[in-house]
Amino acid sequence: MKKILEVKDLHISFHTFAGEVQAIRGVDFDLYEGETLAIVGESGSGKSVTTKSIMRLLPEGNSEIKSGEILFNGENLATASEKKMQKIRGKDISMIFQDPMTSLNPTMTIGKQIMEPLRKHRNLNKSEATKRAIKLLDLVGIPKPETRLKQYPHQFSGGMRQRVVIAIALACAPKVLIADEPTTALDVTIQGQILDLMKELQKKIETSIIFITHDLGVVANVADRVAVMYGGKIVEVGTVDEIFYNPQHPYTWGLISSMPSLDTQDEELYVIPGTPPDLLHPPKGDAFAPRNEYAMKIDREEQPPMFKVSDTHYAATWLLHPNAPKVEPPLVVQERQAKFHASLKGGK
Amino acid sequence: MAEKLLEVKNLKQYFNIGKPKEVRAVDDISFDIYKGETLGLVGESGCGKSTTGRSLIRLYNATGGEVLYNGVNVHGKKSRSELKTFNQKMQMIFQDPYASLNPRMKVSDIIAEGIDIHGLAKSSKERTEKVHRLLETVGLNREHANRYPHEFSGGQRQRIGIARALAVEPEFIIADEPISALDVSIQAQVVNLLKKLQKERGLTYLFIAHDLSMVKYISDRIGVMYFGKLVELAPAEDLYRNPMHPYTQSLLSAIPLPDPEYERTRTRKTYHPEDHQYAEGEDVKMREISPGHFVLCSEKEFEQYNTNYNHL
Ligand SMILES: Nc1ncnc2c1ncn2[C@@H]1O[C@H](COP(=O)(O)OP(=O)(O)OP(=O)(O)O)[C@@H](O)[C@H]1O
Ligand SMILES: Nc1ncnc2c1ncn2[C@@H]1O[C@H](COP(=O)(O)OP(=O)(O)OP(=O)(O)O)[C@@H](O)[C@H]1O
Ligand code: SF4
Ligand SMILES: [Mg+2]
Ligand SMILES: [Mg+2]
Repeated sequence: MKKILEVKDLHISFHTFAGEVQAIRGVDFDLYEGETLAIVGESGSGKSVTTKSIMRLLPEGNSEIKSGEILFNGENLATASEKKMQKIRGKDISMIFQDPMTSLNPTMTIGKQIMEPLRKHRNLNKSEATKRAIKLLDLVGIPKPETRLKQYPHQFSGGMRQRVVIAIALACAPKVLIADEPTTALDVTIQGQILDLMKELQKKIETSIIFITHDLGVVANVADRVAVMYGGKIVEVGTVDEIFYNPQHPYTWGLISSMPSLDTQDEELYVIPGTPPDLLHPPKGDAFAPRNEYAMKIDREEQPPMFKVSDTHYAATWLLHPNAPKVEPPLVVQERQAKFHASLKGGK
Repeated sequence: MAEKLLEVKNLKQYFNIGKPKEVRAVDDISFDIYKGETLGLVGESGCGKSTTGRSLIRLYNATGGEVLYNGVNVHGKKSRSELKTFNQKMQMIFQDPYASLNPRMKVSDIIAEGIDIHGLAKSSKERTEKVHRLLETVGLNREHANRYPHEFSGGQRQRIGIARALAVEPEFIIADEPISALDVSIQAQVVNLLKKLQKERGLTYLFIAHDLSMVKYISDRIGVMYFGKLVELAPAEDLYRNPMHPYTQSLLSAIPLPDPEYERTRTRKTYHPEDHQYAEGEDVKMREISPGHFVLCSEKEFEQYNTNYNHL
C-alpha cells in the first residue's frame, strides 16, 4: 500500500512561564492510502498536538516544531510556508476538531460556514454552493437542511454542531481527514450512522483518516490500524486485531483493563495508578515506568526502543527484550490473547 | 421508599416561542430524583438532555411545568440569600469544557471561585490546600494550579470543571457528559470518585452521557429521551434487560464494543418514529410496565409491550 503521509521523529515543545513543555517527544508513524489509523491514549499525551502540527495549526508564538519531518506528497509540511499550507488546509487535508463550538464561528450562519471552503477551493458559485451545502447537511443527518442553513451555531445542540463540522470537513473531499474525537458528543445511534458515513465516503473518495478517540468501541469499529500514545510518544502500534487481542505494552493493558463492560456491577473500576508524566521535566527512562507494576530497573534509566512483534506490530517496552523476564498481563488481557492465539491456530 | 430530592412535573422548555423556528427542546417531561441516587439520562443528540439539566438549575426560566427541590419551587421568586444557598447546593459540570472556563483566569482561581463566594475557606492557606486537594482528586497535580485553561488538553480541562463543581461541596450535581472527553483510565478514576463521594456524602447525581456502558455502571435508574420527550424510565438493570420503547432498543443495539470481530459483523436497529401510527387523540403517556419501569406508549402499544416484557 502507498504511503500518503509520513511523520518522522517529530519533536514539539510549548514555551510557557513555567518552562518548556516537551509535548511531543519523537513521534513516528505512516498513514497509508485509504486506511483509517486510530490514535488512542492518555489524555494530554499529545494526540491533538501531533495532528494539529500536520495542519500547522499549533498556536503561534509559544509552540515550536523542534525537529522532525511531516511528509505529504513529497513535501515537508513541518517547514512549509503559510501560503502553501492555506492551499492544503481544507482541501487536501482537513480536520474535524475536538471541540465543535470553537471550530464554528458563532457569528456566521451554518450555511455560510459550509459554503466557504466550497467557494474558496472549488470555485462554486453561490447557488451551486448552497445546493451542495444542503446535500452535505442531509448527508450528515440534519433534518430540514434548507431552514437549518440559515441558523447560527448556538441554535444547534452539541451533537448537531458536530455533524455540521463533519459536513464542512468533507465538503472538499480531502485526501487526508483528521478527525479529533468527531463522535464523542453524539449518541450511539447517530455515532453509528456517522461512522458508517465516514467509512462509505472513505471508499468513495479514497480518503485516509486519522481518527482520535477515547472510545475503544469506536476504535474497534473504524480502525484498520491503531497507535497508542503515552507521554508524547507512540508506545504501541499495530493492526486493530493485534492491539485488541494481543496488546504488548503495559499502558495498553491498563487501557483495556479500565473499561467497564455491560456486565460490570458494583466493583470499583480499574484505574492505572499514579499520575501522568510532567512534560516540563520528562523522565530519563520510560515515561510509564513510575506507574507500571511490571517496571524493571532499566525502565527508569533508558527509554525502550520499538520492539518488533510482527511486520505490522511494534511496541516500546523493555518487556519485549529477549532477556526480560516473562510477566503475566492482567486477566482481561490474557483472555483476549488466548482468543488471538486460538484464531491464529485456526488459520485465520 | 427513598426521599425525593427533586420533583420534575410537566417541565417544558421552548425556544423562539411563536416564531417559525420554535424549538420544543423539552416537551412536557416528569420524573423524580431520589436522595442519594444517580439518575442517568441518555438519548439522541439534540433531544433536550442539556436543556433539561439547565432548566433544573435555573439557567433558563421554564416555559411550563415546575421543578421542586426539597419541596421548594426552583423557578419561584427567591431572596438573594436563598439564591446563594441554592446555587451552592446544586452544581453543574458542563458538557463543553472550553466554553465554560474563563480563559483569563488561572486554574486555581477558577476552582476557588465558588470557595470564595461561599466563604468556604478560612484562610488563603486553607484555600490553596483545598485547590491542591481538588486537583489531585481529579487526577491533576498541584503544579497545574498556576496555569491557564488554554495550556491544557481537552480532558484536562474537563477535570478542571469537575474540580470547580466539587469545590463548593454541593449536594446535587448535574453532570453533563462529564467524562466523554477523558481517556478510559481517567474516566474510570472520575466515575470511581463520583461514586465514592456519593457514598461518603450522600450526593445525588443527574448523569447525562452517551457512553451506555458507563451510564449503566454508574446509574441506579436511567431515563431515555427522544425529541424533547422522556420515552422510557427504568431501573438500570431492567432497562438493559428489557428495553421496551423502540428508540431505547435502537440505542442499546448501537453500543460499540471494544471487540473488532464483533464490530465487523454488528447490526444496529433503526428507530422509525412514524411506526407508532398514533391515531388522532390517542392517549400517549408514560405507563408502568413493571414496578418503576415506565414507557411512553399508547394503550394498544402497552398491551403489546406487556406480552413482550420478560418478567423474571
Ligand atoms: N498551548 C499550549 N501551551 C502549553 N502546553 C500545551 C498547549 N497545548 C497543549 N499543551 C500540552 O501538550 C500536551 C499534549 O496536549 P494534547 O492536546 O495534544 O493532548 P491530547 O492527547 O489531545 O489529550 P486529550 O485526549 O485530553 O484531548 C499536554 O500536556 C498539554 O498540557
Ligand atoms: N438557546 C437555544 N436557542 C434555540 N434552540 C436551542 C437553544 N439551546 C438548545 N436549543 C435546541 O434545543 C434542542 C435540544 O438541545 P440540547 O442541547 O438540550 O440537546 P442535548 O440532548 O443535550 O444534545 P447533545 O447530546 O447533542 O448535547 C436542540 O434542537 C437545540 O438545537
Ligand atoms: S519499558 Fe518498562 S516501564 Fe516502560 S512499559 Fe515497558 S516494562 Fe513498563
Ligand atoms: Mg485532544
Ligand atoms: Mg447536551
